[in-house]
Amino acid sequence: MVLLALTLFSYLFIDPNFIYMKNLYTGFSLNFREMTTFIYLLLISAFFVLYILLLKNVNFFSKKIKANSKLFIFFLVPLIAYPAILSFDLFNYIATAKILFYYHENPYIIMPIEFINDPVLLFTRAANKVALYGPGWIAISGIPYLLSFGKYILSIYIFKFFISLFYIGAGMLIWKITRSLFSVLLFMASPLIIVETLVSGHNDIVMMFFALLSFYFLRNKRIYFAIFFLLVSILIKYITIFLIPIFIITIIFIYQNKKIDWKNVYFICFLSMLLIFLLAFFREEIYPWYAIWPFSFLVLSPNHKVFLYSFISLTFGLMLSYSSYMYSGSYFGLSHAIRMLFIFFPVVVFFLYYAFRKTIRLI
Amino acid sequence: MKFKFWIFAIIILVSLSVLRSSHAASSYVLPYPSEMPGSRLYELSQVIENLSQFWNFGSFGKFGYHLKLSDKYIVEGKTLFEYKQYLLAYESIQKSNQYFVKTYPNLQNAKTESKDISEKSQVLNEASIKHIEELEKIKLYTPDIFVWTPEKKPPTKLQIHKLLIESIEIRKKNQ
Repeated sequence: MVLLALTLFSYLFIDPNFIYMKNLYTGFSLNFREMTTFIYLLLISAFFVLYILLLKNVNFFSKKIKANSKLFIFFLVPLIAYPAILSFDLFNYIATAKILFYYHENPYIIMPIEFINDPVLLFTRAANKVALYGPGWIAISGIPYLLSFGKYILSIYIFKFFISLFYIGAGMLIWKITRSLFSVLLFMASPLIIVETLVSGHNDIVMMFFALLSFYFLRNKRIYFAIFFLLVSILIKYITIFLIPIFIITIIFIYQNKKIDWKNVYFICFLSMLLIFLLAFFREEIYPWYAIWPFSFLVLSPNHKVFLYSFISLTFGLMLSYSSYMYSGSYFGLSHAIRMLFIFFPVVVFFLYYAFRKTIRLI
Repeated sequence: MKFKFWIFAIIILVSLSVLRSSHAASSYVLPYPSEMPGSRLYELSQVIENLSQFWNFGSFGKFGYHLKLSDKYIVEGKTLFEYKQYLLAYESIQKSNQYFVKTYPNLQNAKTESKDISEKSQVLNEASIKHIEELEKIKLYTPDIFVWTPEKKPPTKLQIHKLLIESIEIRKKNQ
């Protein structure tokens, strides 16, 4: 129900310049900012409450899911959502793919803005930048682009569908690695994962799918496959390059026939991705979808409860942080400060609650 | 008397405006001089330059690649002329020309591919003006003909002004 509401809500965000859906444009999100922010906060909060309930009652839900695994299809409802509710990156992916596969130019040297009069310039953000993503992403983005036969609306949904395949694939890998429904639900039902992957269509899930696939093969001692898929992951968005040290150490351990505590390996992967995620704050700023990097490994090792729940709190904060722009229409000044406050507020609350419970137990 | 003054003033103003327009400087910015011949990194830069033609595919990409190198070699030529390295400077201007003549055909290709070339044409036009400005300046302080006589090698007769005039003509075609 929440997913359906979120999907319908997304259509209130249609850009006035988005000519392909001008009949659906209402201007609601621009003219009724307070109401829009309120609905968003309500939906996201409800989504997180349901998520926590799902995790707390995973045994109850596991019976239902085992009886009918098609229930996972409900998670895919946001595929039909308008993608630019929180981020315009999907438009940028399409523009980049168009440069290579339609104009036959190199997206690393030619910017979308150089194609004057291209209608996508009306609503594509960061059109004055060359491609930011790895060649692996640009190459595979040709699949959804070419399948859309130049129809823009179709390309949006095909891109989202294409990205959702990696979301499903990641879920299946988590199941294969952990054999834990808790881990699968922790990942697949996460509001952050669903919103950033199925609504906004961020390609971070593609990078993390290949990283997980690499570690899956590594665990099965198929080293060459593992190296290949880690390389593919790096070529999607570069970030997983920071997994290389852990990867090499694990390979050495495998060759030395040493016993490997895989949960520890995943936890170290989580920590390294978390470090890069936090360092993004110094480079530019923390984008909520970056949380997909550490979270993909945290779900493989969910026994570190403090880390798990503090990270879930952080994902809640990251989702809430969108509301400051939604309300003010600005990314700067007070809006930015409130955004930062939103990001870390739930984490602080969690730690205060945790400390409170510890104190009570001691008393 | 007053009438004569006004006639004089108008003549001065008109001639000033004509002079100003004939010396209007192009806003196009040429790059800084990069590695010069003789430098250890020069050979490497040549290899990278040759390889990067594969990276710069597509009509816009090729246009940018050729214009960038034409700019680079005109700056290189100018710097070498200033140091009276006539043979090397002569070769640099020739290279600049070779790259420059390939810019316009790529724009034409882009046009046949239905790409809007208005902005790029403007860039090429401004680049042509800037190149002509620089070539005219070089002509002022270089000899018409220079015989370059290296040690243990036969001399080379460099028709510097002829090359500069040819270079200017190439660029005028694109204005």
